[in-house]
Amino acid sequence: MPKLIIDDIPVEVAPGTSVLEAARSVGITIPHFCYHPALAIAAACRLCAVKLLDGPVKGIQMSCALPAQDGMVVSTTDPEALKMRSLVIEWLMLNHPHDCPVCDEGGECLLQDFTIAGGHSRRRYQGKKRTFQNQYLGEGIHHEMNRCIECYRCVRFYQDYAGGTDFGVMGSAGRVYFGRFQEGALESPFSGNLVDICPTGVFTDKTGRFRARYWDYQFAPSICQHCSVGCNTSPQNFERETIKIVGRRNDQVNGWFICDRARFDKTYLNDPQRPREPRLDGATCGYDVAVDAAAKSIREFVRQHGADKLAFVGSTRLSLEGMILLAQLADAAGGARICYFGDAGQQQGSMAAAKLLNEENTAYVKDIEQAQWVSLHALDLMEEGPMLALAVRKAFLAGAQIFLVAAEALPARDVLPFKYTSVETLNQVPFEGGGKGVIICGAGSKDPDLLAEMASSGAKLVMLQPGPNGFAAALLAQEHGAAPLKELVAARQVRGVVCFEADVPEVLLADVEVLANADWRREAVTDTSPIFLPTTTWVESDGTAINFEGRAQRFQRTRIAGLPLKGLDPKYYGSATEAVSLHPPRVHRKEVPGGAERDAWRVMAQLIERLGGEPIEPLSGKWSSLKSLDPEGEGVRIFEIGLGE
Amino acid sequence: MIPETLKISLEARVASAITAREAAVDVMKELQAHYGWLTDEAVEEAATLLGLSPLQVEELATFYEMIYRRPVGKKVIHVCDSISCWCADCDKIIQYLKDKLGVGLGGTTADGMFTLIPCCCMGMCGDSPAMSVGGTPYGRLTTELVDEILEAERHKA
Ligand code: SF4
Ligand code: SF4
Ligand code: FES
Ligand code: FES
Repeated sequence: MPKLIIDDIPVEVAPGTSVLEAARSVGITIPHFCYHPALAIAAACRLCAVKLLDGPVKGIQMSCALPAQDGMVVSTTDPEALKMRSLVIEWLMLNHPHDCPVCDEGGECLLQDFTIAGGHSRRRYQGKKRTFQNQYLGEGIHHEMNRCIECYRCVRFYQDYAGGTDFGVMGSAGRVYFGRFQEGALESPFSGNLVDICPTGVFTDKTGRFRARYWDYQFAPSICQHCSVGCNTSPQNFERETIKIVGRRNDQVNGWFICDRARFDKTYLNDPQRPREPRLDGATCGYDVAVDAAAKSIREFVRQHGADKLAFVGSTRLSLEGMILLAQLADAAGGARICYFGDAGQQQGSMAAAKLLNEENTAYVKDIEQAQWVSLHALDLMEEGPMLALAVRKAFLAGAQIFLVAAEALPARDVLPFKYTSVETLNQVPFEGGGKGVIICGAGSKDPDLLAEMASSGAKLVMLQPGPNGFAAALLAQEHGAAPLKELVAARQVRGVVCFEADVPEVLLADVEVLANADWRREAVTDTSPIFLPTTTWVESDGTAINFEGRAQRFQRTRIAGLPLKGLDPKYYGSATEAVSLHPPRVHRKEVPGGAERDAWRVMAQLIERLGGEPIEPLSGKWSSLKSLDPEGEGVRIFEIGLGE
Repeated sequence: MIPETLKISLEARVASAITAREAAVDVMKELQAHYGWLTDEAVEEAATLLGLSPLQVEELATFYEMIYRRPVGKKVIHVCDSISCWCADCDKIIQYLKDKLGVGLGGTTADGMFTLIPCCCMGMCGDSPAMSVGGTPYGRLTTELVDEILEAERHKA
């Protein structure tokens, strides 16, 4: 373990750690552009200069490319190093336009920060600047090449890390250009990360440009709810609108990056058409009126038909809190049934996976990255867990063999960022006793025997869940003996349903009576239900989700519920004729327009009370250890805390 | 479209390389010889032959100064403007070439004979100032010598 001294502070780091990282470990940030912890070292920008006063090397060195060694004495504040850094930043700024006020990166720009930190505040250069033509790169990303400082982060990410081939660096010397062969949408499903990784404003998120500055945003740690990988994100909100979503580091899950679905698929959150008003028999009403009516209707139904003819229906979209309370609500209603899944196959596969997985056999993302072979089992990885494709790519680049089993069932559109061999069955994957292998499959709709066979192979397992919180749904379905809704309806065991963020197929609605429906989006059931209770989405609520590997992660409310201010209906302005949109309403009101939504689990808690039950804390009993989960931490695998099978 | 014979020989060249990328410069040069310059079509053809994306070929094509991504004259003049030649007053030679040919750097003469391009050291520092015309290197240039060279090159095949 090399021991060195940085700015008079003794530091001991693991072999191979760079001086830049060693400094960072004791809280010293050396300015840098090309260095990025997730990417290979380029040492292209020359900004991270430090001076070595003593030890095996001496003089000015690039700290990002210099491995820490015993006996080094490093100064980050030596006048010579300071001078070097200020000259480097001045030269990187030569061609940079002075356009921060019209640049969407302004305020969250590494170039701004390090220009100031580097001590360059007055431009001496009087010559012409180099300029470029920008390219159309699709609807996600805006291109502004004049702002480039040639750090090569974008291309190292796009080609090396993410395996894209349609974006790169062209030309040489002062003409280097980062773009595509011809204009057109970027092809990589990870292209949005260019926004995060470029230290300047070359790539900005077109879907949220010029809406707000960094300091305007409301943030909180969040978890992507598009698939069961559970990547960590930071939604950036302004005036009740989710403007941008950026990746948040979690080395156990997504590293630094997210897929484009997580970043760009957000219009539904801001949609003014989202059902936001509680409704009773077709008319809007107060929230408590709707809850009262729901409680009454439940009581009435139970008296007439008995509790076992009633089902409380959730889905894998619910938070863990919602799932827990759903079961207690069913209890409070006198022992009604619970459904977390619509489809029997989904429930079977999901539960089988949750049962089979344990701390020993469940792959960490690191296990995928370091595997000697990876077998993808009839899996559309870009659909079911896109970010894992980058973990598989790491293994592939390190020499792992990748197999795609029973691929004929898959849609042809997928371009995976690694090469693979197609085989027909798992038996054709040549592995001996597991080795350092990983099997990746989707659990939903899989035969439990097949899943068990995979589990007995000795390989590490990834079983992707149907839906973002499928693992939790499986655990609760197991605990409470929940049945798939389709089955209950087909067997005529259930005649009435109360839905919470449930995706009830339209065909089932003919055979059941919907008592009440709580959701944040419009489903077929919304129109059938006499009572509607609007709920918050994951950006507007606190909750816990459990990802495919059983990792419980906390997400926090990133903004309050309500209609986005932008495009607010004129009726909220007190005058239907007043020209609106640029200014918040001048009418004072106590409630947020369209802000009646409540977290689904809170609605359940209210119903429990109305039905005479005790008010309940969702994360209590065996779940209580999750209460203190740090939303900014790495989450915790439930096996480690004695939950799960 | 390239002739079948050229395609077959290029495929063989790629097949004999340890990695396809390694054959990229050869492939681009051959295609350039065929078309006169590396056309967009040629970039796509090179990509197919090499198993790379057109962008990845473009990255290489635009890096090397002897791969021409725009139409050029029959012979390309690369005149060095790097440090040793600059010490030997290449500026004068470059100005002379511009005036004589009636083109700026990057330009092609009206008769389509010559294209004038600056280059950054051709390893002839000892004989600076230096240039090459249609691939033939010339050193210790003087304006008189430039006259002679251009005259000779104009008639040489
Ligand atoms: S575009 Fe951005 S990330 Fe890419 S080299 Fe330029 S400054 Fe760096
Ligand atoms: S891989 Fe899944 S969880 Fe991760 S960012 Fe993409 S959609 Fe979201
Ligand atoms: S960060 Fe070290 S050279 Fe760029
Ligand atoms: S500097 Fe001109 S040939 Fe080297």
